[in-house]
Amino acid sequence: MVRTPETPKGYICVGVIIGPYGVKGGVRVKTFTAEPSGVAAYGPVSDETGSQSFEVTVVGKFKSGVNVMLSGVSDRDTAESLKGTHLYVERDKLPEPDEDEFYHSDLVGLPAEWPDGSAFGIVRGLNDYGAGDVIELDTVDGKPVVLPFTHAAVPEIDLAGGRIVVDPPEGLVSSAKQDDGLEGPGK
Amino acid sequence: MSRSVWKGPFVDAYLLKKAEKSRAGGRNDVIKTWSRRSTVLPQFVGLTFGVYNGMKFIPVLITENMVGHKLGEFSPTRSFFGHTADRRSKRD
Repeated sequence: MVRTPETPKGYICVGVIIGPYGVKGGVRVKTFTAEPSGVAAYGPVSDETGSQSFEVTVVGKFKSGVNVMLSGVSDRDTAESLKGTHLYVERDKLPEPDEDEFYHSDLVGLPAEWPDGSAFGIVRGLNDYGAGDVIELDTVDGKPVVLPFTHAAVPEIDLAGGRIVVDPPEGLVSSAKQDDGLEGPGK
Repeated sequence: MSRSVWKGPFVDAYLLKKAEKSRAGGRNDVIKTWSRRSTVLPQFVGLTFGVYNGMKFIPVLITENMVGHKLGEFSPTRSFFGHTADRRSKRD
C-alpha cells in the first residue's frame, strides 16, 4: 500500500501516478481535481520533494483519472519508476474563486468559533450529498458535526485571520441530554 | 416489486406529525430524525431535517425535486475524506 505523503505547505495535491500507460512513457494518473483534466490546467506539476517537475499533456481518460504524457518521460521503464508519485501544484496557481465561493483546501483545518468567540471545533471537510453543500467539523469534545454551508450557519469566513465563525441552526447541535426522548412513536 | 400504489407513500407517522407541527409553528428548527426510511412528501418542502447516518445528523433542506425520495438517500452512511485539490463550494 502506498502511503500518502504530507502535502507541502502552499501546495495542493492534484493527482497520483498509478502506473505506466503504453510504451512511449505515458502514465495513468488518478486525479483529485473536480474535473479529471484539471490535473493539467495549472501548469507544471512537481513531486512531493519538488525535485522533479513535469509538463502534463492529457492524452486520454479512464474511470477515475486520465492518461497523460509527462515531459522528460519517454519510455515505459521511467514511467513505471514514477508509480506512486503524488503530483502537486502551487496553491497560488489556482484562479481566484467567485464571490462567496471557497476552495475546500483553504477551509479544511481552520478553527471554528461560536459567534461569542469561544472555540467550536475544526473544519474537517466539505461535501455535497445531494441536498446542498455541508461543512463537516470536529467539535472541541471530539464529536463530528455537520452544518449547512450557508450564510446563516457559517456567517463569517476569515481566511486571512485563519478562522471561521459558525452559528448552528437550532436543534442540530445540542447536548446528549437534550437529545433524549427526542423522537419515536408515541413521543 | 415496487410498493402498491393504493397504500400511498410510506412515512413514519410521528415524523409527519413533527413536520406539520414545525410548519404550523413557522419555526426553522432542524428536525432531527432517525427515520431514514420515510419518503419525502410535498408538505416537507422548505423544512430542514437532520437525518442520522449512524454517526451524525446531516442537515437536509428539502426542495421540490426531492419529493418521492427517501430521507436516507441524502445522508450517506460512508464518508471519504480525500485530497480536496481544486474543489470549491459556494456559500448559499
